[in-house]
Amino acid sequence: MAKIAIDPVTRIEGHLRIEAQVDGGQVTDAWSSATMWRGIETILQGRDPRDAWYFTQRI
Amino acid sequence: MPNEAGGLRETLAQRGVSRRDFLKFCSAMTAVLALPPRYMPRVVEALETATRPPLLWLEYQDCAGNTESLLRASKPTVAELILDVLSLDYHETVMAPAGHQAEKSLMDTVEAYKGQYLVVVEGSIPTKDGGIYCTIGGHTALDLVQEIGGNAAAIITVGTCAAYGGIPAAAPNPTDAVGVRDVVKGVPIINLPGCPMNVQNLTAVIVHYLTFGAWPATDQLGRPLFAYGSRIHDDCERRAHFDAGQFVEEWGDEGHRKGWCLYKMGCKGPETFHNCPIVRWNDGTSWPVGAGHGCVGCSEPAFWDTMSPFYRRLPSVPGFGVEATADKVGLGIVAGVAGAFALHGVASAVRAKARPLNKTKVEVEEE
Repeated sequence: MAKIAIDPVTRIEGHLRIEAQVDGGQVTDAWSSATMWRGIETILQGRDPRDAWYFTQRI
Repeated sequence: MPNEAGGLRETLAQRGVSRRDFLKFCSAMTAVLALPPRYMPRVVEALETATRPPLLWLEYQDCAGNTESLLRASKPTVAELILDVLSLDYHETVMAPAGHQAEKSLMDTVEAYKGQYLVVVEGSIPTKDGGIYCTIGGHTALDLVQEIGGNAAAIITVGTCAAYGGIPAAAPNPTDAVGVRDVVKGVPIINLPGCPMNVQNLTAVIVHYLTFGAWPATDQLGRPLFAYGSRIHDDCERRAHFDAGQFVEEWGDEGHRKGWCLYKMGCKGPETFHNCPIVRWNDGTSWPVGAGHGCVGCSEPAFWDTMSPFYRRLPSVPGFGVEATADKVGLGIVAGVAGAFALHGVASAVRAKARPLNKTKVEVEEE
């Protein structure tokens, strides 16, 4: 039984880590993690709603 | 792998780029850099023969918007090749290897070309809680940028996030995000802010480096003067309408349809330094103001907080419409304008002071 991790996952937008449990050549369990957080929901609070599109475009 | 010797000439021929197109590109770059035309032969020679260092493109708290700007370079034939021949050894969004293999190609370059490779950084660096809000391969962005960036020949930040913290650093800055200059010291850092940066300016910076072996002169915010030396407002094609007092008052009104000035709709052009009106976007066809939307000031530090709400007009912009005010107001207003000018100057100076100074001054030597 072995556990493999692929980090970074490339050719995507954003940061992603994949971990997989391998048992006899079969993946028996897997986990994905987004390894970057900016808190745009928090940043948006209390702002002029007309500006929201410009902030959320950057996600 | 890095192209140690030999220049672009063969690569260009292989990819079917004509000599004529190459010379046109060199001429355009000479113009973007605001160099006298007599420098063009030097640009041509440098691009054809210079040794090109490897380039590592690092992404941290980013949206890949600058990568989009790069990949959608409207004149990719030569501009893309410059980056290609530069040997783009690491770029997560476009590279084939993943996981350990990706890390290996990164570290191979760092070790083999210590002090010689160039680093492009896209995205801010979170510093809160030990930097856990952005990790790659189990390492924090903070550790990575200090190790990889700290051993580079120079760092070019692309976009306002990498330059000054950008949107992750907007109030209340939940991750204590900062720009590269705040965490990497002792390496030349060229800032190309913008949301996103214009790939023409990135290419021009690299062409300048390959041609002169030096970085272009910058302002106190680390921005090259050729690209950030003049105000949007002063180069704006709608400036005549501002001077004439012809303003858009409401979206879709007659003034908007006629392409009048967007100042009253919240345009931040009078406070923003960038060459958008000249270089433009989408193959040089348009730019935000040209398309009928005000400038949001995206190349200025902390613009997410200082320039928003984006649709609120700037409180005191120097100058009133000449035609509209000449008859009506007279000298009283002129005095007011002078006052506004002075205030504006003070405000700008204070804002500039608030940022750490890291002036890189490299002048182009005369022949």
